[in-house]
Amino acid sequence: MPWKETDYLPSYEELTVPELTMTTPVMRAGALHFGKYCDNQCKEFMLCYQETLDPRKCLNEGKEVTRCGFEFFGKVKKHCADEFMKFHECIDFSSRDLIFKPCKKQQKIFDDCMQEKVGIERPPVGYFSLTRVHHTERPKHTLPEIPLPDPIPDPPSVEGRIPKHKHWPKHGLLS
Amino acid sequence: MASAGGYTQDLPPQGGYGPIDWAKRIPKRLNGYAVFGGFIAVTAASWTIFIHRRRIEKRHELEVNDARIAVFPLYEAERHRMLLRLHRQNRDEERELMKNVPGWELGTFYGEPVYHNLRDRFHHVTLEELYAHSKWYDMYTKAFEKLEH
Repeated sequence: MPWKETDYLPSYEELTVPELTMTTPVMRAGALHFGKYCDNQCKEFMLCYQETLDPRKCLNEGKEVTRCGFEFFGKVKKHCADEFMKFHECIDFSSRDLIFKPCKKQQKIFDDCMQEKVGIERPPVGYFSLTRVHHTERPKHTLPEIPLPDPIPDPPSVEGRIPKHKHWPKHGLLS
Repeated sequence: MASAGGYTQDLPPQGGYGPIDWAKRIPKRLNGYAVFGGFIAVTAASWTIFIHRRRIEKRHELEVNDARIAVFPLYEAERHRMLLRLHRQNRDEERELMKNVPGWELGTFYGEPVYHNLRDRFHHVTLEELYAHSKWYDMYTKAFEKLEH
């Protein structure tokens, strides 16, 4: 019941884009290089949502992120398919919570391949956990202005209209 | 060992028994300073190894945290599209459901707005409202999905 007929909701055609259909280990294996490759798009999208808190206004940024994801994983598939396969299988079968620790050897091989053939260097540890500054050309989002009601008039002055009690204390808190 | 005579006499060993061991024997004790020194050495070594290992483990955790943050926008973008699709489906469903009710307007309760929304903000509605046109267990399946992993 929240949406009126006049409220904007994107149509199904706008919402339908090719989605990445991959499981978590695969995403985890390519995550660090993906973050470096699509750094600008990701930051743009997250900044947009943080400013507007409105998924309708960040649709194009989100589509851009997904398109960049397709581009990145396409490159991985083209150039480093075998190394990536070994790496994400290791992540999948080595631990319960999909950590990198038991797969350092495969990760090294994959990193070398990515740097050699695609030209993406794995960012240093802690790169994404730090705060990153983003410069954007997009104008800052502001909510539309609404007319405010007239301010309430001030109450009439009570100075001199309240008589003081005969025995009111001269000093202290109540004086 | 029975001989021809029948038995042998049990006798002391050759050269007789040794002297009786009667003196009090106190075990040799470590010096107190040596005990303290050993304690400090072992503790220092353990702490060194522990801090070294902890630094390595934290580094591994930080890398996994990095990976989670890096792919978060991908998931978030897809999730937003799914959410908007669900909102749109709900509105279409409501239009279809209430078309025969006189005086019913979409997004309102008989013309009276349900939400205070003058500045075209996005409604972050509850799960009950999102899944109003679904089976009730669909909502619980969605809400408690993470408990099954």
